Amino acid sequence: MNVQAEHHDGVLLAKVEGRVDSSNSQDFERQLQAAIGDDVGAVVMDLAQLAYISSAGLRVVLLVAKTLGQRNVSISLCSLSDPVQSVFEISGFNRIIQIYDNQADALAAAGK
Amino acid sequence: MSATRTLRVPNRIEELPGVSEAVEALGQEEDWAPDVSYAVVLALEEVATNVVRHGGGEEGTSEIEVEVISTDEEVRVEVRDSGKPFDPFHDAPEPDIDAALEDRQIGGLGVHFVKVLMDEASYRREDGRNHVTMVKRRS
Repeated sequence: MNVQAEHHDGVLLAKVEGRVDSSNSQDFERQLQAAIGDDVGAVVMDLAQLAYISSAGLRVVLLVAKTLGQRNVSISLCSLSDPVQSVFEISGFNRIIQIYDNQADALAAAGK
Repeated sequence: MSATRTLRVPNRIEELPGVSEAVEALGQEEDWAPDVSYAVVLALEEVATNVVRHGGGEEGTSEIEVEVISTDEEVRVEVRDSGKPFDPFHDAPEPDIDAALEDRQIGGLGVHFVKVLMDEASYRREDGRNHVTMVKRRS
């Protein structure tokens, strides 16, 4: 698992790669928090290269989304594979976090 | 085609990725569809993580036994451990998946995934061990 950060006009793009499970979810949280930092206007998580996520990883996504919500920083997700998308749907997270089909749409919406 | 694989690992979270890898490899040999493989690996991780976290006793002091039976019709997974009696399907809290972001509680999702993604899931206490049995049909 790896989180890569890119900055696009005030939007933090966090690309998550690999597998997030109960054995590395704490590391995932640390990497994500470090990538986000204290000074961003919006966060987009690109999950195109996320092969697998379990409830431990979803817990981290929820925690980060809550924290950002309290700071009035928007967060969205994009480019989920079919199995990852279905896990977000089963958890109901797709109704509380905006999900876009592709990175361009997510960045355009986040930059507004 | 059919195959059975039995794995035994210490009750430590760090041991679980190796179990996932072994089960994924079996799925490739047995030609599971991607959604079947994802469901089986996820359900297994969620149940085994519960065993480590709620089984009582220190991590690494007992053993988790996993048996996976793959046939043309279904994948059957059994997780056994000698921890204290714990029925994940009744003793774990239900998440409120309709709650708003600020009200949404962290946790409770693992068992929900198992119930939704697997076709059968049951618990029994037998011979002083917990047995969780899950079935995923392949079509």
